[in-house]
Amino acid sequence: MDQETLIAAIKEIVKPYTKNEEALNNISENTDFVNDLQINSANLVDIILDVEEKFNIVVDNDSMERMLNVKAAIEIIQSKLAGQ
Amino acid sequence: MIGNDIVDLHLAERESYWQRQGYLNKIFTADEQSFILASADPTTAVWLLWSCKEAVYKIVHRHTRVRTYAPLKFNCSVTAGTVTYEGHVYPFRSLQSGYCIHTIAVEKAELFDALEIYTEDALKREQWDISKDDDGVPYLEGSPVSISHHGRFAGLVIYRSNNYAGTLHMI
Repeated sequence: MDQETLIAAIKEIVKPYTKNEEALNNISENTDFVNDLQINSANLVDIILDVEEKFNIVVDNDSMERMLNVKAAIEIIQSKLAGQ
Repeated sequence: MIGNDIVDLHLAERESYWQRQGYLNKIFTADEQSFILASADPTTAVWLLWSCKEAVYKIVHRHTRVRTYAPLKFNCSVTAGTVTYEGHVYPFRSLQSGYCIHTIAVEKAELFDALEIYTEDALKREQWDISKDDDGVPYLEGSPVSISHHGRFAGLVIYRSNNYAGTLHMI
């Protein structure tokens, strides 16, 4: 799955939890879920569960630990999909 | 070192559905889940435990300057009043009033005596002259502070070194 498709999919997932709409419209690999989108840390777990459901993967605890931004999310999704 | 976290239970109810399949397993240990499910008010128990983990995460982040999302590594015991992270035991105190849970954690229990704790309306934040360093670690007029905000509530904890008899390395 290419980068652009993944960013679009992540954008859809994070949308309901995002407090900064402008940052969401400008989402890129460098977007931080907490600092830029101002997502509450208790909702990061929802994003992880949504990613698991959408891509049919399991995000292990080590991956979850660094899933704080779009770049890490892309890397994790790609590596889990490649490992299937 | 100090950390605090505040939860607006009313907002938490709207923002999060903790009964969601898989939710508890991602953030709470088996013992913590037992505590939640045995509680008379499981929703409040969820946010109490969560605020404890967040408060101690802020202490750890202040030390390491590394951001992580690893709630399972913070083991909270409400009966002991502590959170254990990587072998270190952090005492906490939690104040609950109406829809507000405010939890304050410290590196060692004696530090509670050196704290000024404010549990306020969120609007009050505008009056706090907070500065942050490059890692987002907050200060108030040079003193280390911990701040938090959720919904209608805001928390501020100020460490006053002249109220503390021991020695402590504060960043």
